[in-house]
Amino acid sequence: MIPVTTLPVSFARLRAVAVAAALLMPIALRAQHSEPAPAVTPSAVPRPAGVGDSMGVAATMIAEPTAAHDTQGHGAAADGKVDIITPHITDGNHLEIPYWKPPFYKEITLPHWAPVNFPLVGPVDISPTKHVVFMWLAAGLVMALLLWAAAASKKGHATVGHPKGFAAGIEAMALYLRSEVILPNVGHHGEKFVPFALTMFFFILFMNLLGLIPYGSTATGNISVTATLALIAFVVVEVSGMIAQGPGYLATLFYWNKDLPIVMRVIMFFVMSPVEIIGKFTKPFALAIRLFANMTAGHIVLLALIGLIFTFKSLVSGAPFLMAVAISMLELFVAFLQAFIFTLLTSVFIGQVREAHH
Amino acid sequence: MRLLSVAARRALLVLPLVVAPAFASEPAEGGPVNLLEPKGGLMFWTLLVFIVLLFVLSRYAFKPLFAAVEAREKALEDAIAGANRDREEAQRLLSEQKAGLEHSRVEAQKIIADARSTAEKMKADLLEQTRQQQVEMLEGARRDIEGEKSKAIADLRREAVDLAIAGAGKVIQQNLDAAGNRKIVETFLASIDGAALRKR
Repeated sequence: MIPVTTLPVSFARLRAVAVAAALLMPIALRAQHSEPAPAVTPSAVPRPAGVGDSMGVAATMIAEPTAAHDTQGHGAAADGKVDIITPHITDGNHLEIPYWKPPFYKEITLPHWAPVNFPLVGPVDISPTKHVVFMWLAAGLVMALLLWAAAASKKGHATVGHPKGFAAGIEAMALYLRSEVILPNVGHHGEKFVPFALTMFFFILFMNLLGLIPYGSTATGNISVTATLALIAFVVVEVSGMIAQGPGYLATLFYWNKDLPIVMRVIMFFVMSPVEIIGKFTKPFALAIRLFANMTAGHIVLLALIGLIFTFKSLVSGAPFLMAVAISMLELFVAFLQAFIFTLLTSVFIGQVREAHH
Repeated sequence: MRLLSVAARRALLVLPLVVAPAFASEPAEGGPVNLLEPKGGLMFWTLLVFIVLLFVLSRYAFKPLFAAVEAREKALEDAIAGANRDREEAQRLLSEQKAGLEHSRVEAQKIIADARSTAEKMKADLLEQTRQQQVEMLEGARRDIEGEKSKAIADLRREAVDLAIAGAGKVIQQNLDAAGNRKIVETFLASIDGAALRKR
């Protein structure tokens, strides 16, 4: 059973995020049809390419009212409204890259590959999409950064006894997560979970951050990505529980409280066991939804505010502009926070299942 | 009960969210986009990229990054374990020492007690023996004295008889009535003997 103390926190968070997502998602969905709030006329803004880029690029796009480029399947509606939010937060087989001529971006179509037939699963289309590309990019950046930091740290330790500069910062971050977040939560002999949790952290962090740079996109704003990450966490949690507890792992699935009298015990077994089993799946589900909803909701808010700038087209635009800046900063924080929370909760779950006693 | 209610509330909240993706259908072209629709390709790439990243990072980034810290932690742990071991060893030695000391003390006590009882016994024995000897010596002396006395008495008697006879010889030389005289003498001697005996 999950200790009561940790429940209200995660529960409250889950609820808050779920509510936020539920409130914000219809805006994105309806924006395609008739909702005028975040939508602008195609003559004004064809399509901003990213979040952070929007100021410069979108401003140019006003001066460049071509709107002639490909918008099919991206929400160009017949009534002259265009949806700028949905294409941004959803996946697609197009990639926007910086371009030196106005509108300063160029759309390239990603290649389409034949679906690969996986055993047990069937054919899966593994063609690269926008989010796949940004995931690769995030992985590449993480790899480059951490390998460089490790090398620099090693060199620093060998020469002056401590790393210097940015590498020291990365090392301090990794060390903090290791000694203050992962190890205390995972419990005894948690060292073997450190690389896993840290990989999770940096991978998610970079996917989050890539959505905040111009022309970028957030792979973690896609439920498939967060669900897979949560699934990985789920498997790690449960397998580590099975290894740590042996047959005692069944006690985390089936409620059999030896402190209760036998009649009550049997009743509680049938009442609590489904709850326990559902609880197993709730945790990764909450992880996936939390990350996905946070990233998606943040981007929707940001894009709605940016849309407002071009809707007002006057000095009033200053207000949404300032708000967009503030929300961007908040998003920067959220990018770190959500990566941290995912890592923290995964560690907590591993610790719980390894220490669970009934 | 609170546990149950929290878990139940949680489960109830989660239920519609769990079911929701199941109802998600392929969006029609141009229709609303379903944000909760899982895409196999993306899931595949996420899994693959994560596994590769995990492998590369744990091998080439985290290992060297934490090598110094882990070495330090290990050294610290070893030092603590060593100190604990040493303390336990010292504790063990101390208790052993104490037990040994206690043992020797008891031993010494026992030896002293033994010696004391032995001495006591020996003293008693010796005393007894001395007393016995004393008694024996006394007895012997008494016996000797008795013997000597009776011998002396016999000697004296013989001497007295001899003297008396010698005296009597003289008397006989004077007075040839020996028989009558002898009787007188013996009567006399008997009176001496009885007086002497009574005197003693």
